[in-house]
Amino acid sequence: MPFAPRSAMPSTNFSRDLDQHRGYLLRVARLQLRDEALAEDVVQETLLAALSGSGFSGKSSLRTWLTGILKHKIVDAIRRKQREPSVASTFGDIESELDIEDLDGLFKDNGAWEAKPAEWGDPETAFSRRQFFDMMDFCLENLPPNTARVFMMREVMGLETGEICKELAITANNLWVILYRARMSLRECLERNWFADKAAGA
Amino acid sequence: MIRKALGHMISCKDASRLVSRQEDAHLPLWQRITLRLHLSVCAACTRFERQLRFLRTAMRKYVE
Repeated sequence: MPFAPRSAMPSTNFSRDLDQHRGYLLRVARLQLRDEALAEDVVQETLLAALSGSGFSGKSSLRTWLTGILKHKIVDAIRRKQREPSVASTFGDIESELDIEDLDGLFKDNGAWEAKPAEWGDPETAFSRRQFFDMMDFCLENLPPNTARVFMMREVMGLETGEICKELAITANNLWVILYRARMSLRECLERNWFADKAAGA
Repeated sequence: MIRKALGHMISCKDASRLVSRQEDAHLPLWQRITLRLHLSVCAACTRFERQLRFLRTAMRKYVE
């Protein structure tokens, strides 16, 4: 009587609760990893770890707790992939994405904007439009793969820069460059494809 | 202090890098001063700073 029923009963309910978050976790993993099979794997690992572990204290929401586990699984997966010398892998050499000379075209020789950032009005109204997120998708797809991943680690997973540097074995300076490139490119893409239209239509 | 700061006016290119960096780290005092000074006279970089903040919010919404 002491523990057998107690451990069996809640775990069934618990696994049902966990399963409700599978779709969400998969979406985050897909965005982050850009690899369907790998995303399925990390979500599976996350749910298994959640089932076997007893770390859920109820202090945070179940989703927040699961996202925390997923974060570690994703970082592990990225690290693993990076070490794999596979030609087919999109996790290529991160060094090749460190050159920001192509971004220099955004500025004149004296360092002034070639095309000044436009006025976006009240951009938050875009959140009520589904098409806006399709556009974000498009703009994120246009980033070099590792740049997109690093940017997502920072902005979606909310990892601190120190953690990212450590996990990916890159210098702080390289990380600044990658994040800068991601932001410049996304900003430019959204301005050209979304906010320019809005301004013109207004 | 102000004169010294003016002597160190940074370009939009440099300012844009600092704006990005301050999203991830606490800038040293001197960089914060030169950046604020630049932003106080540059509408384009002020917009850029607002847009990067928006980008961060947008990324959070994107996965919700």
